[in-house]
Amino acid sequence: MSILELHHLRKYFATQKAVDDISLNIEKGQIFGLLGPNGAGKTTLIRMITGIFYPDEGEIMFDGKKFDPVNDIGKIGYMPEERGLYKKMKIGEQTEYLAQLKGLSRSEANKKIKEWFIKFDMHTWWNKKVEDLSKGMSQKLQFVTTVLHEPKLIILDEPFSGLDPVNTNLIKDEIYNLAQKGATIIFSTHRMEQVEEICDHIALVNKGRKILDGTVKQVKQDFKEHLFKVSFADQVTPEHLAIHLFEVKKKENKEVVIKVDPGYSNNDVLQYFINKGLRIESFNEILPSLNDIFIRLVGDTPTARQFQEVTA
Amino acid sequence: MNKTLLIIKREYLTRVRKKTFIISTILFPVLYIGLIFGTSYIAVKSGTNLHVGVIDSSGYFDKGALERENMKDSSSILTLVDLPADSLKKNFKTMGYDGYLIIPSSLNWESSTGQLFTLHTGRTIGIEGAQPVQAKLNNIWSGIKNEKLGIDITKKTILEKNTINLKPQNVEDEKADSGVATGIAFVAGFLIYIILLLYGSQVMMGVMEEKTNRIAEVMVSSVKPFQLMLGKIIGIGLVALTQFLLWIAFVFIIYNVSSAYGSDGGAMGSMIGGVQKVFTSINVPLILFCFIFYLLGGFFFYSSLYAAIGSAVNEDMREAQSLSFPITMLVIISIALMQATMRDPSGPMAVWGSIIPFSSPIIMMGRIPFGVPGTVPWWQLIASMAALIAGFIFTTWFAGKIYRTGILMYGKKPSWKEMLKWAFRKN
Repeated sequence: MSILELHHLRKYFATQKAVDDISLNIEKGQIFGLLGPNGAGKTTLIRMITGIFYPDEGEIMFDGKKFDPVNDIGKIGYMPEERGLYKKMKIGEQTEYLAQLKGLSRSEANKKIKEWFIKFDMHTWWNKKVEDLSKGMSQKLQFVTTVLHEPKLIILDEPFSGLDPVNTNLIKDEIYNLAQKGATIIFSTHRMEQVEEICDHIALVNKGRKILDGTVKQVKQDFKEHLFKVSFADQVTPEHLAIHLFEVKKKENKEVVIKVDPGYSNNDVLQYFINKGLRIESFNEILPSLNDIFIRLVGDTPTARQFQEVTA
Repeated sequence: MNKTLLIIKREYLTRVRKKTFIISTILFPVLYIGLIFGTSYIAVKSGTNLHVGVIDSSGYFDKGALERENMKDSSSILTLVDLPADSLKKNFKTMGYDGYLIIPSSLNWESSTGQLFTLHTGRTIGIEGAQPVQAKLNNIWSGIKNEKLGIDITKKTILEKNTINLKPQNVEDEKADSGVATGIAFVAGFLIYIILLLYGSQVMMGVMEEKTNRIAEVMVSSVKPFQLMLGKIIGIGLVALTQFLLWIAFVFIIYNVSSAYGSDGGAMGSMIGGVQKVFTSINVPLILFCFIFYLLGGFFFYSSLYAAIGSAVNEDMREAQSLSFPITMLVIISIALMQATMRDPSGPMAVWGSIIPFSSPIIMMGRIPFGVPGTVPWWQLIASMAALIAGFIFTTWFAGKIYRTGILMYGKKPSWKEMLKWAFRKN
């Protein structure tokens, strides 16, 4: 069952079609990667999902019902890329305040904060001020304030920026944990290796439009280039490779990367090498990384979106 | 709990708990009183201790007369010197004089024109500084003239004391005392002026803080931008009100304590008499009510505009100042107008100035102490209050629109034109 359905969302600004007819479907418990180059419209899309902006057109369904910002934002946790806290406020009080704004009672908030602070080893921070924290520490605090009210939908925009590897893992484990417990996570980032590691499903947005949507596995399959890495026990000579069955992309002593020509199967290639008397040690398909796919899909668009008058 | 209430609570508590609030609450009245006494003290003190050597070529001034004047007021001393003008000019400093004065032989008591002498001094002294010396010379001079004219003490008193004074009294409001009213009007208008500027810029800084700390987006994902803005404005408004009520409480405590212990004569006694006179000649509950109404009304009117500006600029204080200049100007114009309207509290400028919302908080407070309905008819008071309420509803709505867009904008400072566009854009 889907927690969030977007139907033909549109949001135009004076100089940009920020979001131009995007539809999406996000299932409960998914970790969903929302990708796109700078200025693609991700933030605008997220701001509509979090009730900050109203869409010009289209419909948002949240948890099976029409999205009602006033009541539903309590079920959403959003950590924006432009994030921050009140610097002069004490950490305990501030966390309590933010949780109460999400609809928790004071005692409830207090209890949950204590649990999280112990879990993240932050229990000595209660009476400190935010300005006393390092960047990584305040990042952890920000994560806690985002998920404290047990939202059904958690939206994290670049959650790992500024974190060291140890704390990155801590937050990453927590993300898995929350997904396991049934929360849905939308994860927006430019760091493709993190997406590959964490997300099960992705959508790619460019120039306000969705250009790709699917599971990470499926997307990789769709964009595979029939590249194979073959390792041999013997030396490979140029005459071994002179054939119209594949194209050689890379060649080392006992290893080649080939691109199989259209119309031929893997078996044809293996058959050929066996017939040549070469002893094969391994035969692996090279799937494209999300990074490659990302660059291939958006690489040819201008690096900065141009401003133009929109006539809607 | 309601989210707006939560925001109000936070804004209020974080400010009231600050040391600066407590210090400024105590310090402001102390400084204010200090300023009033300080300036009058300085005014009295400056120009004192002038020791002036006098060469009298006219023969009118004798040692005895100068001595008598020196006895009456020792703040400046005149000494008759029997030296040629040139040597006094060269030596007056070494002789211990601050300056010298030559009374020419041409001085004649029968002359019907004024005389202008020069007070030569070793350092620059303003006209005010020469005043005490001038007064002493005139005392002696009029004594001499009276003697020559044959005017005795009785005639002299008749001449000097028997004057005609005017006191304005509105026939429709017999109780009004324009002297007291002027004082109250000035203090009330000035307090509103200070609070508008001080707390208005607090609202602006508070909004800017949310932007610089990058918490704005976190907040608007939990509450509506309008709630955030309103919560801040109301919270800070309550801080201003708390501060004002604390001051009122101070005044009452001081009044009661001093009337209990120090009512017997002296300066304290006359002060209390003055305060009692104030309380009987004006309508205290009405003035207090109007003051709080105009304080809060004016605060909402202006602070929402300040909030809009705070939301539109980035962390740069200079941007904020240049953009808020027109608004600050309105407040300053109001206080300038108030001083003019206090001279004629029922003239057309006063009437319109006290009805138009941007100036009404200050100007109306400058008129009300003169009497309602004597000086300010009821219809004007009601029209002014209604206009102010309508005014602040409009500015809050208008500012809310700008705020909603501005708070999430980073980058270039918008112009007033762009901000107007944000305000009148649909949804």
